Amino acid sequence: MTDAHTQIDETVKSNDVVLFMKGTKSMPQCGFSSRVAGVLNYMGVDFADVNVLADDAIRQGIKDYSDWPTIPQLYVKGEFVGGCDIITEMTLSGELDTLFETNGVTYDKDAAEKIRAANA
Amino acid sequence: MLVSAEIREKLDARFSPRELEVIDESEQHIGHAGYQEGGQSHFRVRMRAEELDGLSRVARHRAVHDALGPDLIGRIHALALDLAA
Repeated sequence: MTDAHTQIDETVKSNDVVLFMKGTKSMPQCGFSSRVAGVLNYMGVDFADVNVLADDAIRQGIKDYSDWPTIPQLYVKGEFVGGCDIITEMTLSGELDTLFETNGVTYDKDAAEKIRAANA
Repeated sequence: MLVSAEIREKLDARFSPRELEVIDESEQHIGHAGYQEGGQSHFRVRMRAEELDGLSRVARHRAVHDALGPDLIGRIHALALDLAA
């Protein structure tokens, strides 16, 4: 097991919600990362952000960790949830609300409803 | 071969989709990270295929990643997927 793998494993297991992204939640550097971070911020979710651009080993390692070739990647309670397309679909369908509720993650339901209303 | 044609060929062969759209959106990303001269960097795929029935969202995406292969995935900057059975 590589150092990057161990580091990623510890990060996703010690934080309820983790987003591996390009840039940071306050300054995303890619449209796809920005969209997912924006949804989580808007929904008031407390999440850890990992900037893969700051560490090449993590940037490659996270792709191997979940056998998923793209970034961003969202993890909830240690489980890989998906990338930008999947999170967008789950936000609009309400599945993301359910996932948060099932895992005891606090979020603003009204904000989620506003996103859905704006995209209906 | 254009990358979009390559994507289309691989998905056609693997899934025999009922509907398949491969859109090169590279021109919308001029000046952004990953843009390269001549485009061929940012793609959007919309596919409807029976083969995807019963698979989770993550499994659908993984099936498409597998069909395209790491070489092709490695050459493009962005791939947005809209997948359903």
